[in-house]
Amino acid sequence: MSTDQQDDQDEDTLVNVADGVDHQVAMVMDLNKCIGCQTCTIACKSLWTEDGGSEYMYWNNVETKPGEGYPRGWEDSGGGWESEEHSDRSPGEIPDEEDYGRAWEFNHSEIMYEGSDEPLRPREGAEWGPNWDEDQGAGEYPNSYYFYLPRICNHCTHPSCVEACPRSALYKRQEDGIVLVDQDRCRGYRYCVEGCPYKKVYYNTVSKKSEKCIFCYPRIEGEGPDGETFAPACAEECPPQLRMVGFLDDEEGPIHKLVEEYEVALPLHPEFRTQPNVYYIPPFAPGQHTEDGETVDIDRIPRQYLRNLFGDGVDEALDTIEAHRQRVRQGGDSELMELLQDKNPAKQYRLEVFDDE
Amino acid sequence: MTDHRRTLALTAVLAGLIVISTVAAPLASARPAHEIPVREVSDANLDEPDADGWEAVPASDVPLASAPSSVPNADDTSIETVDVQAARTDERLYVRLEWHDATRDMDASATREFADAVAVQFPANTSSRPPIAMGGPDNRVNVWYWSGATGTQELLAGGAGSTTAFENPTVQANASHAGTGGNATWTVVYSRPLDVSGENRTDLRTDGDLDVAFAVWNGSNGERSGQKAVSEWHYYPFSGGPQGPPYETLLWTIAGIAIVAVVGVTSFGIYRTRGVE
Repeated sequence: MSTDQQDDQDEDTLVNVADGVDHQVAMVMDLNKCIGCQTCTIACKSLWTEDGGSEYMYWNNVETKPGEGYPRGWEDSGGGWESEEHSDRSPGEIPDEEDYGRAWEFNHSEIMYEGSDEPLRPREGAEWGPNWDEDQGAGEYPNSYYFYLPRICNHCTHPSCVEACPRSALYKRQEDGIVLVDQDRCRGYRYCVEGCPYKKVYYNTVSKKSEKCIFCYPRIEGEGPDGETFAPACAEECPPQLRMVGFLDDEEGPIHKLVEEYEVALPLHPEFRTQPNVYYIPPFAPGQHTEDGETVDIDRIPRQYLRNLFGDGVDEALDTIEAHRQRVRQGGDSELMELLQDKNPAKQYRLEVFDDE
Repeated sequence: MTDHRRTLALTAVLAGLIVISTVAAPLASARPAHEIPVREVSDANLDEPDADGWEAVPASDVPLASAPSSVPNADDTSIETVDVQAARTDERLYVRLEWHDATRDMDASATREFADAVAVQFPANTSSRPPIAMGGPDNRVNVWYWSGATGTQELLAGGAGSTTAFENPTVQANASHAGTGGNATWTVVYSRPLDVSGENRTDLRTDGDLDVAFAVWNGSNGERSGQKAVSEWHYYPFSGGPQGPPYETLLWTIAGIAIVAVVGVTSFGIYRTRGVE
């Protein structure tokens, strides 16, 4: 592509891609489809974090909201930017082992080899774990509520982890904006760990270096056995297929339509100002019930809670989706509803659109 | 007349003493502030922190202060001074560093755990003095680094954030932590052969002064990277006997001449007054 054409394209699109980055990978997760099965978590873990020192890491995790999350209390752990100028970072904290949740030891040997008839259970110290508060949620019967929130690195447009590293060991790669840790440059200072407001950079306690989600870049580069391109494992392995993967600046793709046109896919905690490139379709829930079991027109998930998570855009996003649902119910057509269903005409994974450049 | 002669002689002796004391004394006594003596030794029993050979090597107290750095909490450092000794044999340079640290932080295998560390910095090219903060792109530094968690590294840096480890390190270090509480100290002995191959390594056979600086990290205070206690540039006087900066000698000489002149003029005044009588 010539420079002129590139300039033309830049003028045509309003997509805010980071300086020095050609295209930006992005993901949309539809929270209405997540069943909390953790298949994404295990797909990721078995690919990338099974070696010594990374036992506690879940580059992909699924947490129950409302809830403490993983690591515990990450939303209040600091990091991110003070202002939209992206000049001053907010200080952050490094979570400790207890916040991440230690791997528990079980009484397998007693039961399997020593004839003990006690039940299988953790030996001791089982007081917190990545999903300790799973399905707990909030609210009182009959109006309790919760939903699942799958999280990976947001591969932010303004990554505060990158800025936090005094050695430039973290970088946002030019071709697709994936944020990576150069293992040769990293000296284990952990400023990235504390600087990421999502706590999605992890310290490997054996290699003494930091690691993070790599958006399965070998898969999207076609490094597999047959040279095929695959979406990240967390997306491909998802039973309800709730994730779309592509480029934010691919204007024909579903991600661009959902994020930029319909504005129904929203970043998590935009107030951290890192401009995430993972977006969420906010969750719907049935209306509240009276004690007699009748449904009333009151949000089960408090709207303010969703605003705290996804910003003020959540009201309009939910209204837009609701309007399109109504249109389809009445026999009309809706591109938005098709995008959000499996008859998605724009393809769920679009990772090769810029391959010819 | 006898009185006059006696007064004159006394004045001359006094003036002579003053000249000797003012000019000679400062050169012979106090070592220049940034000089760290190096003992030239033939015996090389210096590898270990508690080796006997160190007893005969003079020590210098080097003050430390928080390094200017953009990392969070850069001002929060806890080590205020490091005791430095240096000795050179025909084959190796030995540097021994000792500082107080109540906790022995040897590990970085928990997410919030940092190890104690210490470093010695030299110019990679001894012909000029690099910027103190990890050198500069055109004026690099060699760093001898030891950390409780990762051991010894020989590093090259050309400015903050550029630190890179040599693949085949030539620096050795032995460390020990002794004592408890406020009296607990770390002692680390570095050594490197004077003759090593490869580019970007400091020439330790230099006949000129060798610039040197020091840094200490207290792991239990979260110190790492630019959050460290550092010294200013000091130097090892490989050029021979102790030498102060020339302006110091110059100032003392001027002061001495001035004192002699004042004493002389005063004596002459007294002499003339008495002569008039």
